[in-house]
Amino acid sequence: MSNLTVDRSPRRKLRWNRQDIPGVAMAAPGVIGLLVFVAAPFLVAVFLSFYNAQLNSPRAPNFIGITQYSRLFADMQFWRALGNNLTFAAVVIPVQTAIALGLAMLVNQRLRGISIFRALFFLPVIFPMALVAVIWRLILSRSEDGLLNSLVHVVSFGQVGAQDWLGNSATALPSIILLSIWQGVGFQMIILLAGLQEIPQERYEAAQLDRASRWQQFLYVTLPGLRNTLIFVVLLTSILAFRVYDQVYILITSGGANKTATQTVLYQATTSVFDQNNLGRASAITVVFFAIVLVITVIQRRVVRQESEA
Amino acid sequence: MKHRKKAGASIAAVTTAALLLTSCSSGGGGTSSAGDGTGDVEVWAHQGKDTEVAALQDAVANFNASQSDINVNLTLVPEADYTTTIQSTSAGDLPDVLELDGPTLASFVYDAKVAPIDSYVSQDTIDNATGGDVNQGTVDGTLYALAQFNSGLGLYANGAMLDAAGVSYPDSIESAWTADEFLSALKTLAAANDSGYALDIKENYGLGGEWGTYAFSPLLQSAGGNLIADNKASGVIDGPESVSAMEAFQSWLPYVDPDEDDSALVDGRVAISWGGHWMYPGYSEALGNDLVVLPLPNMGTGTKSGAGSWTWGMGSNTGQGAAAGAFLDYLLNDENVKAMTTANGAPPATKSALATDALYSAGGPLELWGQQLEAGCNADSVTSDCVTVLRPLTAGYPVITSEFASALAAIATGDDAQSALTGAATAIDQSFSDNNDYK
Repeated sequence: MSNLTVDRSPRRKLRWNRQDIPGVAMAAPGVIGLLVFVAAPFLVAVFLSFYNAQLNSPRAPNFIGITQYSRLFADMQFWRALGNNLTFAAVVIPVQTAIALGLAMLVNQRLRGISIFRALFFLPVIFPMALVAVIWRLILSRSEDGLLNSLVHVVSFGQVGAQDWLGNSATALPSIILLSIWQGVGFQMIILLAGLQEIPQERYEAAQLDRASRWQQFLYVTLPGLRNTLIFVVLLTSILAFRVYDQVYILITSGGANKTATQTVLYQATTSVFDQNNLGRASAITVVFFAIVLVITVIQRRVVRQESEA
Repeated sequence: MKHRKKAGASIAAVTTAALLLTSCSSGGGGTSSAGDGTGDVEVWAHQGKDTEVAALQDAVANFNASQSDINVNLTLVPEADYTTTIQSTSAGDLPDVLELDGPTLASFVYDAKVAPIDSYVSQDTIDNATGGDVNQGTVDGTLYALAQFNSGLGLYANGAMLDAAGVSYPDSIESAWTADEFLSALKTLAAANDSGYALDIKENYGLGGEWGTYAFSPLLQSAGGNLIADNKASGVIDGPESVSAMEAFQSWLPYVDPDEDDSALVDGRVAISWGGHWMYPGYSEALGNDLVVLPLPNMGTGTKSGAGSWTWGMGSNTGQGAAAGAFLDYLLNDENVKAMTTANGAPPATKSALATDALYSAGGPLELWGQQLEAGCNADSVTSDCVTVLRPLTAGYPVITSEFASALAAIATGDDAQSALTGAATAIDQSFSDNNDYK
């Protein structure tokens, strides 16, 4: 029997082919950059997380083993911050993608002046998130003259009073989610618009010949045609959702946002190191966060790949 | 192959870690030297209000013009990031002369980032500094910094609005409002105001930052509590006195205007503003004779207020000690101190300038706050007689202020005062025990 099996393992000899050299040379700057700016600092962070290190103190750090991690896992504030990150991602990813898809379909029509709408929807994306946070701080102001409070007052015919959107723990994170979606939806919209325009018109015509309703056309022509673009947009949004920082920092430090309800893991890391000089704790936070995001990303890719093979 | 790859990766990890640890411990204490008294002097200052910046730039320009041996180069760093910038800069990169926020001085001494100045600054300058100024700049018995100005903190009020609402207000330190009187005054004033608000606590500065600790930790001390005692926060910052002070603070919040545009008092939306000396020029211009200056509320053991402000020190690795000292002597002379305090309304930190100051000496509009500063003490020796309390002079101050201000901001959004303060106490104590009390 053994002589019927084929040896499937290719034997690779580690030998430089001349054809390999241009590829390696072009990849080298990127790889070196990755190693120097991402891998090396990460290894340093892992090391530092076992020490009690004070930022820029001339004293040597002292080794405390896994104390930083055990304190971190016992800290309710850290779990809450992680929960805030996960809540933020869980809401923003589907909602922002759905709104972006809706907007993309709206602006995909051939109407005169449609490019003005495309530009308007894309406009918030070009503002830095810090600027968006400062403007929304005024919109979300808790005084009766605040923009959102005035709008709610008018729309509800005076029934709803002035709310402290950022200070109230129930509305603080939704407010930040709202402004983040407002800022980012245009970017996803443009990408999905490009994907929409690649779907051949014939498929829609074929569907209409089969007497498919608009909803059925959407389900069976648009969504499958957008598959790769949607996967890309969801992955991109999830990376950006875990990186949320600017608006959280600005609204907590100068907007009166409820810290427990809105702080994120990155916010905790930066305040640990820059406000309290606690480099060891900040390193531990970043290592834990990296591990969590890595696990989530791997799961995401597994799920997506399985669907494409099925 | 696999073994070699793994070995390579772990070698890389160990090398980077070793490099890091050696660089961490090789910072070393600074060694300042006098130099020859000539040459370039690098100066860093915070970019505060425009008038303050202009006064400082004038001082530098006049100094450079008045002599040709020393040339001062001034660099301005944004105020919000100033302390973080100094914390993140290694001692070798710090300038010859740098401004420091008073309470952060002890942590910079701990990090060996500042040099003692008593051998570089003239004895006359040191003798002319007020007691509070010397207290603020002294760590472990050595003088590291001197200031042009101290700070004044209290309540500004629109006297016309108070009279119209029938609210009586204090005219001396002893007659400060009690917490209950203050609350009922706020209620009356809010009812009399279209905006529905009565008080402005400068929320736009961010209660979670240094303003929170500076402006509201005196409430703890006034109630009989404190931020920290004997290097322990537990039982002190979350003791019953401190908690009652913060609960009283919470009771005032419904009458507080969010004040995004920083002009609640000027526009008449509030009658009382919890403010520092830097608001005086703007307020006096807008309200004129209606502006009255009051002490903070008395939470039980007498009104207490804040003190301490930006101060000037020298970088630990400076090679221009003598020239830097000459510049500091010039900066702390009467003419420049008066120019700065005219620009920002601050109380001078030199005896000669304070004695003749138009605002803070007897008969001046801010005389009350000048009296407050005369009765000053350190945070670890609060008595019922002292009024202004310097923030704690410990190298662990960054942790104390970060935790207290976060707790204050949480209390301001409605959190339970006891649990917020206990959380702060736990974090502070942990940091102190990790670092051997920052000795």
